[in-house]
Amino acid sequence: MGQDKIEIDYDRIDVARIMDQIKEKIAAEARSEPQASGAEAAPIPELDFMAGQGRMRRVLLKLMSPFRPLVKLLILPVDEEHRRTVLILDRTNRRLDRLISEVERDRRVTIERLDRLREYTKLLHHLCHNLVIEMSKLKIEEETLKTKTRVMEKDFEFLGKREKALEKEALK
Amino acid sequence: MKIAFVVQRYGLEINGGAELHCRWVAEHMKKVAEVEVLTTKAADYITWKNHYTRDEETVNGIRVRRFPVTRARNPERFGRVQDRLLRHEHNEADELRWLDEEGPRTPSLIQYLKDNESAYDYFFFFSYRYYHSYWGIKTVPRRSILVPTAERDPVIGLRIFQDLFRTPRAIIYNSVEERKMINEVSGNEQVPGDVVGVGTEVPGRYSGEAFRRKYNMVGPYVLYLGRIDENKGCHKLFDYFIRFKRESGSEAKLILAGSTVIQIPSHPDIQYLGFMDDEEKFDALDGAELLVMPSFYESLSMVTLEAWALGKPVLANALCDVLKGQCQRSNGGLFYETYPEFREALSLLLSSPRLRRTLGENGRRYFEANYTWDVIENKYLALLGRLEKEKSA
Repeated sequence: MGQDKIEIDYDRIDVARIMDQIKEKIAAEARSEPQASGAEAAPIPELDFMAGQGRMRRVLLKLMSPFRPLVKLLILPVDEEHRRTVLILDRTNRRLDRLISEVERDRRVTIERLDRLREYTKLLHHLCHNLVIEMSKLKIEEETLKTKTRVMEKDFEFLGKREKALEKEALK
Repeated sequence: MKIAFVVQRYGLEINGGAELHCRWVAEHMKKVAEVEVLTTKAADYITWKNHYTRDEETVNGIRVRRFPVTRARNPERFGRVQDRLLRHEHNEADELRWLDEEGPRTPSLIQYLKDNESAYDYFFFFSYRYYHSYWGIKTVPRRSILVPTAERDPVIGLRIFQDLFRTPRAIIYNSVEERKMINEVSGNEQVPGDVVGVGTEVPGRYSGEAFRRKYNMVGPYVLYLGRIDENKGCHKLFDYFIRFKRESGSEAKLILAGSTVIQIPSHPDIQYLGFMDDEEKFDALDGAELLVMPSFYESLSMVTLEAWALGKPVLANALCDVLKGQCQRSNGGLFYETYPEFREALSLLLSSPRLRRTLGENGRRYFEANYTWDVIENKYLALLGRLEKEKSA
C-alpha cells in the first residue's frame, strides 16, 4: 500500500524524513481525491447484455431482448442509486475521518495555547502585583528621603546661624 | 551515604510505572549506598486503602518502612473536586484541598521525615503529584531529590506544583520532553537536574518461536503491551487497525497483552492474551514484527525501551510528545497522528523487513547508550557527586 514512493536512505536513516514523505504522500492523495470522486460520480456504463460468448447465452439474450427495457427500468436505477449511495457514504466517511482528526488536533493545540495563555496571564498578574508593591515601597522611600533632606536643611540652617553667632561672640 | 526512597506504594506485587521505577532504582542503588524505602501501607492506587499490616519489612534486601494512610480516597468525591478545580477559577487553598483528596494522606510519614531528616543524606521522592511528595519536599527541601514522572496532564499547571518544582535540591527527569514541560510550567531551570529515566533487565534467553508455538500463532503480528485503556489510546488503535485490515488486506494480527479496562472488539485478527509475566513478555516481543504504542500520555514508556532492547521497531502515537521525541532521537520507530499516517507507517513497516531491522538496530543502540543499568547508575551517582561537591563548597 503506497510505500513505493517513500525513499529511504538505509545508511543514514532518519525517521523524521520518512514521516515527512508519508505526510506529503497523504497530502497529495487528499488533493487528488476530489478528481477521483468526480470519476466515481461519472455515469455508470450501460450493461452490455451481448457481452460474453457462447451460443446458449446469445440465444437466451435474444429471447430476453423484448424485456430489456423493463429489466433496465426495474433493476438499473436501483442498482445505480445503490452504488452511488455507497460511493457517497464512503466519501463522506473519509471526509468525516479527516475532519475528526483535524478537529482533534486543533482541539489539542487550542487547549495547549489556552493553558499557556492562562499561565502568561497569571505571571503577568503576579508581575503587576509585585510592581505595585515595589512602586509603593519606592514611594515610601522617596518620602522618607525627602523628610530627611528637609531635616538636614534645617540642621544646616541652624548650624549656619550658630556659626555666625559664635563668630560675633569671638570678635567681641 | 544513606538514602531514602519515598514513594506512594512499594512491593513486589506493585506494577505501576513510577512504583516499579522506584523499586528498580532503589535495588540498584543498594550497591553503592545504604538504602531505605519510606512508603504507605496502600496497595490500591484508586482508594489507597491500607493493605499491608506490618510497619517494617525487608523487600529484596531493602528495609521498607510503611506508614498508614489516615483517609482512604473516595474516587467519586475526588473526581468532583478535580473536575471543579480544573474547570473553574480557584485559589491555592482549593489546590491543597485537592491534594488532600488525592492522597495518599500519610501525616505520620511527613512527621517521620521531619524527625529524622539528619539521619539520611538524601531523600528521593517519586511522583510529583501525590501528598507524600508535596509535603515531603516541603519538609526536607535541602535533602530532597524529585523524580517527577510527569505526564502532559492538566494538573501539572496547578500553582502549588510551580512552587514544588522550584523547591527540591535536584530533579531527575525521565525524558527531554518532561524536563522541557516542567521548565515551562515552573521556570525552574536553576534547579540542578539531569535526564536519566530508568533501565530495564533483558532476560538472557527469550524466544519468539516458543511464543508462536505456545499460542499457535502463524503470520506476522503487531504487539501491544500494557494496560488496555482509553487513556492509553487503545480505542483509537482498535479503530485504526480494523480500518487498516479492511483497506489493506494485510495478514498481520494485533496481539494484546495486559490488564483490560475497556472492552476489546471482537475481530478475527485482534487477539487478547491476558496478563503476561516478564519472561513471556520478552518472548512475545521477540516474535513480533513491531511494537505499537498508541498512548497519549507517557513520561517514558518502559515497554518501548524493552522493544528497542530487543531490536524491535516501534510505531508510536505522535500526539504524545515523549514517544515522538524518543522515536526521533533514536531513529528507532515511526509515529502517527491520524489514521492515514497510521496506515502508511504500518504498511511501510510490515512490508519492509530491512526497514524494521534498521530501525530496531537503531533502537537497540539508543537503548544501550542511554538506558542500560550501568548508564542509569552512573547518572544517579554523578548527580549525587555533584550535590556532595556543592555541599562541601
